[in-house]
Amino acid sequence: MTRKELITSLKKIIKPYSQNQEAFKNLSEGTDFINDLKINSANLVDIILDVEDEFGIEIDNESMEKMLSVKSAINIIETKLAES
Amino acid sequence: MIGNDIIDLSLAKTQSNWQRRGFLEKQFSVNEQQLILRSTNSFILVWRFWSMKEAAYKVFTQQNEMRFFAPKNFDCLLISEKKGMVFYKDRIFYTSSIVTQNYIFTLASYEKLTKAYSKFVMPKFINIMIKIKLEDVTKFSAKEIEQKKSKNGAPFYYYKDKVLTRSCSISHHGNYGVFSLLYA
Repeated sequence: MTRKELITSLKKIIKPYSQNQEAFKNLSEGTDFINDLKINSANLVDIILDVEDEFGIEIDNESMEKMLSVKSAINIIETKLAES
Repeated sequence: MIGNDIIDLSLAKTQSNWQRRGFLEKQFSVNEQQLILRSTNSFILVWRFWSMKEAAYKVFTQQNEMRFFAPKNFDCLLISEKKGMVFYKDRIFYTSSIVTQNYIFTLASYEKLTKAYSKFVMPKFINIMIKIKLEDVTKFSAKEIEQKKSKNGAPFYYYKDKVLTRSCSISHHGNYGVFSLLYA
């Protein structure tokens, strides 16, 4: 999976939780889930569970701690995919 | 230092499904999960624990310039209907929660007895209401009071170069908004 394909899949997951549609439209690797997309912190866990289902990976607590931006999410997914 | 959190329960019902597979396991300790599942009102306990964790996290990150998502590491202990404690690494936070049918509000602090002032306001008026409150207390004009944010987003209020809040926490969710202040 290319990085571009990965972002497309991730975007699909993030969309229903995003509260700032303008920021969502302009989503890039630098986008922050909470500060930019205004995602409710209680929904971060939904994103993590969706990512696990979509990519067939397990996100451990240590990785989960860093799941605050598109960039860190992509890095975690890539690392976990490489491990599996 | 103080941190607060508010949850609009009708919105929580539609925004999150706590019974989703993995939802509890990712965020709550084994002990918390058992208490939730045994409770006569699991839904309320999920969100009370969550608000305690979130409020404690906000206290911690005001002091430590870092951000992370580790709700499971914030261990909750219920003392009474209102009081609770949260443990994170070597830190202890004391919490006080108000649970109603419509919302859950939690204030967390390093101190057992905090003199924080909290007020519920409509979400869109939070900033202006804080300034009006600070005007009352300090006599500086609300128009000249400014909000500044620390690197990780904690708000502070200033009159020119003078900081007016020792600690300030803001939370809003759905129809509910609240601010809590410790004056400088």
